[in-house]
Amino acid sequence: MKQYQLSTGEKKFIGSHLLVAILALAVGSLFGPLQAFEHAGWDFYPYLKPFIKSYYQGLTVHGVLNALVWTTFFIMGFLTFNVTFALKRPLKNPTLNKVGFWLMVVGVVAAAIPILANEATVLFTFYPPLKANWAFYVGLTLVVVGSWVEGWGLFMTFAGWRKENPNVRSPFVAFASILTALLWQICTLGVAVEILTMLLPWSLGLIEGVDPQLARTYFWFTGHPLVYFWLLPAYISWYAMLPKQAGNGKMFSDSLARLSFWIFLVLSTPLGFHHQYVDPGVPPVWKFIHSMLTFGVFFPSMMTAFTVVASLEHAGRKQGGKGALAWIGKLNWSDPSVAAQLLAGILFFFGGIGGLTNASYNVNLVLHNTAFIPGHFHLTVATAVTLSFMGISYWLLPYLTGRKLWNPKWAVAQAWTWFIGMIIFSNAMHIVGLLGAPRRVPLGLAPYVPAEWNSRLFQVGVGGAILFVSGALYLTVMLKTALNKEKVTEEVEVPMAEAMQDPALTPDWLDRWAPWIYGSLALIVLVYGPVLFDMIKNIALTSPGFRVW
Amino acid sequence: MSAKNMHINVYERNWMIFSAIMLVLFATAVSVAAFGMGIQVPAPEQRVDPRTVATDPNSPWSNPGLREVSPGRYDAYILAHAIPNWEYLPKEITVPVGSRVSFYVTSSDVQHGFNIQNTNANFMVLPGQVSKLTITFKNPGTYNFICTEYCGVGHGVMYGAIIVTP
Amino acid sequence: MAKKDKDDDEFRPTGTIAVLTIFVITLIAIWTTIYMILVGRGSTL
Repeated sequence: MKQYQLSTGEKKFIGSHLLVAILALAVGSLFGPLQAFEHAGWDFYPYLKPFIKSYYQGLTVHGVLNALVWTTFFIMGFLTFNVTFALKRPLKNPTLNKVGFWLMVVGVVAAAIPILANEATVLFTFYPPLKANWAFYVGLTLVVVGSWVEGWGLFMTFAGWRKENPNVRSPFVAFASILTALLWQICTLGVAVEILTMLLPWSLGLIEGVDPQLARTYFWFTGHPLVYFWLLPAYISWYAMLPKQAGNGKMFSDSLARLSFWIFLVLSTPLGFHHQYVDPGVPPVWKFIHSMLTFGVFFPSMMTAFTVVASLEHAGRKQGGKGALAWIGKLNWSDPSVAAQLLAGILFFFGGIGGLTNASYNVNLVLHNTAFIPGHFHLTVATAVTLSFMGISYWLLPYLTGRKLWNPKWAVAQAWTWFIGMIIFSNAMHIVGLLGAPRRVPLGLAPYVPAEWNSRLFQVGVGGAILFVSGALYLTVMLKTALNKEKVTEEVEVPMAEAMQDPALTPDWLDRWAPWIYGSLALIVLVYGPVLFDMIKNIALTSPGFRVW
Repeated sequence: MSAKNMHINVYERNWMIFSAIMLVLFATAVSVAAFGMGIQVPAPEQRVDPRTVATDPNSPWSNPGLREVSPGRYDAYILAHAIPNWEYLPKEITVPVGSRVSFYVTSSDVQHGFNIQNTNANFMVLPGQVSKLTITFKNPGTYNFICTEYCGVGHGVMYGAIIVTP
Repeated sequence: MAKKDKDDDEFRPTGTIAVLTIFVITLIAIWTTIYMILVGRGSTL
């Protein structure tokens, strides 16, 4: 049976998302190893002075381009592909999606100019009263609004499909992609309000000051679900694509996969205070409530762990795998897309462990803003998400361009070097953080570094060096593939794993939107409403801006 | 649409039950530490005007430092600032071993952090807010307190020390 | 309608349990270690 065909225009549109994403990753990842080298005492920043004024300008470039631009563009492209391919229909209103995409592009350029001019060295959290040039805030706003507009285009497409197929179970991949886009619309309200009511008017000189505590609260309203916005597209691939690629396996449970996505929608926003446990202006009772909800949102990740591993085991057994663990070796490790995503998944186990520990209320006192935190999120967003996206691109780029993946062996090596480099880097960061090392510090120069940190800081540099090689390999493979003269003979097959049980047997309540959306909005109002009401009532715009870089 | 029952594999069901129990145990352990052992996160203490907090003579942070409130009990008022040169005031505090010290920390400019190494005193310092935690120094030695939030190019040199004398 | 393989019904995810057991032991060990650091450092009130 021939698979559903996307038009050339649609492929180009999705491909342009990939192009911007990979360009951002290329520039942003250049600075990651520079930070790591600095920790080890090999400081290259003095040589970059003509272009990059400080460690922190480099760190801002790294954070904004990798955590915000690479992820958002890749995700919007991937979701667009998922929705159109899984629903077997074109976008309802392609112009709307194009408008969204170009708004995002203009936003990135607008934010990049002040960053490169050293006028927005505020890191990717841009906590006021650090005050960036207004163009930085305008740029961020446009990226968010553009992603909303693209989301609306996807919703309209889904609604069009639903109208014509009222009693059919929605395909999992389309369902999960729409849910991810919806989660993003809800949670970005926080940062939109932060920028539009405080930071932008302040940077334009319309108001004198800001309220830093309120700004942090708005920011983390978006900041935690942002993590799920990054993660859910990787989950979609792990649930519904990877089992097929790994050995013709099936998705273990369609209904539980949907249930866990619903729980993510409901629970990933109303727990932002777990990033603010040690903030002075948030009452502990609300911090505690958010911590309990955080334990709640760990539950669907545990479900995901089961369903994904079981689906992979199904694939491994089909390939003749035996034993308790030996089946893992039978998975299709020679396929770079599979190797990358399996390795990403392995490190995500440890990312989950660190995340749960950080988020365990007072346990955060041991870890807050130590090097443990970047150690943790380099396992999650920089590996579980990024390495999975790299894995996806190993089939998606050939699919979109019709060009063969250039040198799959290099691509496999890329996945392994990322895995190994990240283990060394991240392990050292976690440990040095537990020893007390703060995050966001050029530790190679800090005056208070005790001798016991040194061996770990050296490992941070070694990990960074391996990751640098891996990043270069990835860009080489992508570039060589995009220019490859060798074409694929037939259109690349899109990996789609069937569910073991017919999705039509999935209960209807797992395919209805309204109750879940109302539920998640109600929960947000319940656990954010009272605190936000109080903070806004007592707002004190007393902090003028500072440019201290 | 007809109602359908959810089919859950028995292995997966047991896994879900196990996961729920484990998370409840973690939540319980955290609660015991918080409400039983007094290991708590900061609570709203006081709001101040960051523009005058360092200069207003009525503000304790115009004269930051250590005050003994009763034998062995101290209040430490600490001002964090990036301007002019990324430091805490005072930079150094000396207390005898066994002292119970309440730290009241605020900022006169940007956001900072405050982490006394190898202790549970680790919190954000925001302009306009006062952060407070109380800890007891059980062992003599030098405890650095380090800025843990990016506060400008000098963030990496911002620290101070508590000397706990025997 | 997806076709149903007979071996799917007989599939018992024992390997999954093995993998997840390793995961959970690691999780509990790391979490507890850090929790004990917290408790050892004592009260903040």
